[in-house]
Amino acid sequence: MTHFSRRQFLAENAMGIGTVALAWLLKQDQLLARPKNVPVKQPHFDLTPKQAPFVPQAKAMISLFQHGGPSHMDLTDPKPELTKYDGTEFKGDIQYSFVKQASKALLGSPWKFRKHGECGTELSELLPGLAEVVDDVCVIRSMQTGANGHEVSIRYFHGGIPGVLGRPNLGSWLVYGLGSESQNLPAYMVLTDPGGLPVDGVTNWSNGFMPSLFQGTVLRPKEPRILNLDAPAHLQGSLQQQNLELLQTLNRRHYEQHPHESDLEARISSYELAARMQTSAREALDLSQETKATQELYGLDNPKTQEYGTRCLIARRLVERGVRFVQLFLGGQPWDNHNHLTTGLPAICERTDQPAAALVKDLKQRGMLETTLVHWGGEIGRLPVTQSLGDPKTVGRDHNGQGFSIWLAGGGIKGGMTFGKTDEFGHKAVENIVTPNDFQATVMRLFGLDYQQLLYHHNGQEQIITSGRPARIVSEIMS
Amino acid sequence: MATLFKHLSLMLLICACVLRAGIAAEEVKPETLTYEEHIRPIFRAHCFDCHGATEEMKGGLDLRLVRFMTKGGESGEAIISGKPDESYLIERIESGDMPPGEARVPQDQIATLKRWIAAGAKTARPEPATIEPGLGITPEERAYWAFQPVKRPEVSEEFKNRPGVRTPIDALLLKAMPEGLSFSPDAEKLTLIKRASFDLTGLPPGPEQIRRVMADQSANWYEGYVDELLQSPHYGERWARHWLDVAGYADSEGYTVNDVVRPWAWKYRDYVIRSLNANKPFDQFIVEQLAGDELAGKREGDLTEKQIELLTATGFLRMAADGTGSGSNTPEARNQVIADTLKIVSSSLMGVSVACAQCHDHRYDPIPHADYFAMRAIFEPAFDWQQWQTPSQRQVSLYTAADRVKAAEIEVEVQKIAAAKGEKQTKYLAEALEKELLKYEQPLRDQLNSAYQTPADKRTPEQAALLKKYPSVNISPGVLYEYLPDAVEDLKKFDKQIEEIRSKKPVEEFLRVAVEPANHLPVTKLFYRGDYRQPRQVIEPAALSVVSPEGERRKFPVNDEALPTTGRRLAFARWLTNGEHPLVARVLVNRIWLHHFGRAIVSTPGEFGKLGSTPTHPELLDWLASEFMQQGWDLKKLHRTIMLSTAYRQAGAPDPSKESIDPENNFYWRKPIVRLEAETLRDRMLAASGVLAPQLYGAPVEIKEDDFGQVVVSGDQLRRSLYIQARRSQPVGMLQTFDAPVMEINCERRSSSTVATQSLMLMNGSFILSQSAKLAERLSREAPELKPDVLASLPGIPPSVRPVWSYGYGKLDESATPKLAYTALPHWTGSSWQGGPQLPDPALGWVTLNAGGGHPASQYVAIRRWTAPASGTLTVAGKFQHGSDHGNGVRALVLSSRSGLAGQWEIKNQSVDTTVSSLAVQQGDTIDFIADCKQNDVGFDSFSWTVQVSLQNEQGGVHKWDSAADFRGPEPEQKNLSAQAAYAFELALCRQPSPEELLLVTRFINSQLVYLQQHPEQLPKDVTPGRQVMTNLCQALMSSNEFLYVD
Repeated sequence: MTHFSRRQFLAENAMGIGTVALAWLLKQDQLLARPKNVPVKQPHFDLTPKQAPFVPQAKAMISLFQHGGPSHMDLTDPKPELTKYDGTEFKGDIQYSFVKQASKALLGSPWKFRKHGECGTELSELLPGLAEVVDDVCVIRSMQTGANGHEVSIRYFHGGIPGVLGRPNLGSWLVYGLGSESQNLPAYMVLTDPGGLPVDGVTNWSNGFMPSLFQGTVLRPKEPRILNLDAPAHLQGSLQQQNLELLQTLNRRHYEQHPHESDLEARISSYELAARMQTSAREALDLSQETKATQELYGLDNPKTQEYGTRCLIARRLVERGVRFVQLFLGGQPWDNHNHLTTGLPAICERTDQPAAALVKDLKQRGMLETTLVHWGGEIGRLPVTQSLGDPKTVGRDHNGQGFSIWLAGGGIKGGMTFGKTDEFGHKAVENIVTPNDFQATVMRLFGLDYQQLLYHHNGQEQIITSGRPARIVSEIMS
Repeated sequence: MATLFKHLSLMLLICACVLRAGIAAEEVKPETLTYEEHIRPIFRAHCFDCHGATEEMKGGLDLRLVRFMTKGGESGEAIISGKPDESYLIERIESGDMPPGEARVPQDQIATLKRWIAAGAKTARPEPATIEPGLGITPEERAYWAFQPVKRPEVSEEFKNRPGVRTPIDALLLKAMPEGLSFSPDAEKLTLIKRASFDLTGLPPGPEQIRRVMADQSANWYEGYVDELLQSPHYGERWARHWLDVAGYADSEGYTVNDVVRPWAWKYRDYVIRSLNANKPFDQFIVEQLAGDELAGKREGDLTEKQIELLTATGFLRMAADGTGSGSNTPEARNQVIADTLKIVSSSLMGVSVACAQCHDHRYDPIPHADYFAMRAIFEPAFDWQQWQTPSQRQVSLYTAADRVKAAEIEVEVQKIAAAKGEKQTKYLAEALEKELLKYEQPLRDQLNSAYQTPADKRTPEQAALLKKYPSVNISPGVLYEYLPDAVEDLKKFDKQIEEIRSKKPVEEFLRVAVEPANHLPVTKLFYRGDYRQPRQVIEPAALSVVSPEGERRKFPVNDEALPTTGRRLAFARWLTNGEHPLVARVLVNRIWLHHFGRAIVSTPGEFGKLGSTPTHPELLDWLASEFMQQGWDLKKLHRTIMLSTAYRQAGAPDPSKESIDPENNFYWRKPIVRLEAETLRDRMLAASGVLAPQLYGAPVEIKEDDFGQVVVSGDQLRRSLYIQARRSQPVGMLQTFDAPVMEINCERRSSSTVATQSLMLMNGSFILSQSAKLAERLSREAPELKPDVLASLPGIPPSVRPVWSYGYGKLDESATPKLAYTALPHWTGSSWQGGPQLPDPALGWVTLNAGGGHPASQYVAIRRWTAPASGTLTVAGKFQHGSDHGNGVRALVLSSRSGLAGQWEIKNQSVDTTVSSLAVQQGDTIDFIADCKQNDVGFDSFSWTVQVSLQNEQGGVHKWDSAADFRGPEPEQKNLSAQAAYAFELALCRQPSPEELLLVTRFINSQLVYLQQHPEQLPKDVTPGRQVMTNLCQALMSSNEFLYVD
């Protein structure tokens, strides 16, 4: 493309360019400093890299979201008491989602737990991959959303308020607060599953009340992976380039007549970026550049792990190229093992465990783990009691928002530790409870942001990710 | 797998007001700091929840008066005047113990507190001897600008007479300008034409309109033009969109994941368009929307037109998301509908965030918790969460009595036919049974028959078992087709008849309304902390306290006996529009200003309270508000007043000297460019390509997900974007990408982003690609010719650009290397090329060519010529056929201009493949497919010959031609492409290209034509190179900044 020399006061970014650095961002200092009677311009947003108020440890985040509620007492939270009292009646109160199939009979885990790594974190035999990287991982065993529903808790994790749709997601906030490091790629990318969209669909990566600039860009599970990225067949090759050259000539002439309108210049640049993206996004997705060893690490040679492994590997390549926030979703709710626990749970573990662990390993061997926060976890966990349709072979577990596990690695997280506890049966978090708001506050702090100070003005109100709900930064798990 | 279920928690109700107020107290000298002005706002934000607002004070500490603080609570004195460091209050705040939880008092505010205590903890006036419970409202809080009555400023003669001042608007703006600034000159006429058209109609001016207005040389052409636009029906569409943003219009209910469609919301949308087009006084427009049902009076018989209009207006109160009819009819969901409705009412009309007072006293504005519920009480009779009506229960049918009679009559007729069908069916069933029973011997036959004839619930167990054993006897209407296929066809005739009759039923339409059930007087209670499970004292309907002078708070009657309804909303609406309300008119004119200038006087149009901005031009705001009301809330007049101002008419031209004073143009010394809103951008494309449907109103245009999962308009893209179905969960990709709001509650102000996804959409999106093609097609039909001198100044189409197929005749020189003299056949009959209208032609004889073959002449061969558009390797497949046993047969030859004879076949009454493989060709080479009668014997020489030519270019691309499929007559006299390009500027950009631009695009056209000739494989099917090049040009114009922005 033709390159234009001009004032370089605009920082360039893949998905956004703007004009004015924002007064919105840094709370009331600016608001106070603004003399009366000077108008606030129509807010204009950009993705120029922004300085975090604290020294950041994480620069990027990969979130492997595990929909449905992974059964923590079968995976990451060993409960010998539960095994001991298997089949006996649970004495406490339980909130069920499926009352007709509910029972109070405790269900001990059919899988064995063993200590792993130097740290000795106990994990179930279903997670051999995670066991290999456990010294880099912090397992939080005391997550709590307080609600059993999927949507309520998913929205809580992503948007900050249980059950409320239409808010910007964690990725939006991070990109809003920090901008983009990539010149050629969107700062917030989402990798969806070939099995379809997750519960709540596209709202999982919506920008909510923020401008669409802060929306997740979907990398689709099949070609074309990015919408509108590729020229239609009849414009491919130099034809589109010829068209763009004409367009930019027209735009430049127009800009010469409006030299004071910086938005025009920004839009000229955005076409250049779009053209650059066409190449760079393709390059980022080209896994043939990876060695055979790397491909095998992620399980690309195994039909069971191939799909999820591919997406994990793409996630690493995106972060490597400056993408701020990558989130992988699963289609439907594969961890929602209401029944057939003994077959369903191993199946989804087989699909995801090796690739997830490979991501941690690979990031570490490339020296990227220090600055890349990896998150693995669902929105809820499961109950210690049996859910049954009658056939003892097909039993499962019902939802549990009172206590469950997630794990984090890298990006300033202390490896080789567990944090928090559930009760003896794994029903309720009882020690060092971590809520999704605490999780968000902590993630933002790892990025050097203060979740209470990162404000967004919406409808005359200052919004923060936690919406003023109580939250705390879990400093115990930060290195 | 789990079903989806929603536990919308109580958290929804706990309002999310995360707020920090700025109190610029640090510049104030300590001795002038007072409790009322500087300290109370800090306590309001952080402390009063527990130490002031409630009847019981935590720890016995009351912070509402300084003497209470000095006295202190259970822990002793809270402040010691003059000694901040010894004051317990400061200690608790600094240590982070207070307020409890994570929230902290900002450092600057703590500093203010300390400085105030140090200076003696002064008050502005002596404190009252007694104090009522609650926070009350201080004179300082009341003194806030937005709560003051609108005061029409005097416009001084001095400024009125300044050069460039046309209206009081100009005088007030000029008065505020610093030294060195003044208005820019008026914009060019064409710029004004465009600006006014987009502002008022959201559409570009048409070419005819431009020509007409440009030709109008009268002094008041502009006034006339603005009036013309204000009369356009598209005015209502454009300004309805602005209002629908703040009303939170959506065609779906939201709240639940299903996000079910609201089938009748569009009636309200149409009401808004109609009201604006009719220039309904805005006060009336507001009253109708808030209380149309209360104005409509009793329904007696059919709804009158007026009643329908008034009821439709209340759709405004039904725009909030409502999940109560789609699986979430919980107290939380109901209360959420009420909260969102109040939010829409308050932010659209009053510009205050009353929502912040939902759970406690407003932290920044003097809006007590009880005031929120007083406002809620106004709406409670229509929105009673304890006797809730779901969306479908609230629908009002538009059926008239006559419709009902007609419908009933038709049902009677239907029943008759249904009965006839039943009779016939019984007969057929009996017939089928009889046949079936014949398969069984007696006595089984009779047993089966009697079992069958016995009603199912009276059968003996033996009978039931019998029928189970012989299921084929158990004939039901559903399986009759297996026994008597013809009978079923016969019965279907009845169904069809029923369907036909039913189709004559009048269509039943509905309105989405907010109405009060008769004699419904629910009690409103204050919800402690916003929680409906903790109701407290009864609250009666009233206005916000702060809006009226102390002691004169406006209360509304609990039940107006003169009305069938309570009259609460009507009283509220009339009070809002009585001309004395400080907020309503200011909020409205501020929005109108925003939509004309791209920036508002108060830059937070939905928030005029402390959390919002202050007006940049307070006098102008008040002048506009007062003028608006004085002129009878006449919106069109207000547009006219604004648009006739010098400020509006200015050019956007740069001026370095002024820029050095005010680079951001805060003082309106020039008119800034404005980016088109998403809908306007899409509409502009439709208008340019000429397919935009002018039709107004009606049910929304459906949407769908395309193959790539992007939400797009379903079916033809013809209607204005306003009419596209607005699903909360399925925003249309094109619109959302350009910042159209996705309704959560409502949208008070749109953002405007500049992102690469927009560029990608304009480069590769299916919508712009299809619109470019349509515009190109329009150009080829409509473009006027260029003037000869203009044409002469432009480079011509390159000679290499020639049609691939041509049809001719000639003489074959069959000496050593065959040579051919080619002449084009002169006559086209509509299906074949030949010498003249008659065959044989006196001069050329029998020579003719049609799609499938032709006939040679005795003297001339028939030549189908293919000209290589690019170099490459050629292969030919084909079939040459002759179908007569008479004569001497025919001969076929393939001759390359480069390599000579490539093939030769002679046949008689037979068929032969004419294959030629791997022939190297250069661009411009010809391949002739020649048919010869042999030895001048022209009898019985009709032949058929179709060939498929395939060319592989150097890059490996393959393009194919088919002589039959490609066969056509003379190219229609193609319009000169430069002329088309010039017209493209006119349609897309509303102006003629400059000579320089025309030269630029002509060069672009020529170079792309050559490129496409060389890369025919890149052409979409059935698209000529010329058309594709024009499509590309159109796309460039429609994605250009000149298209996206208005001067």
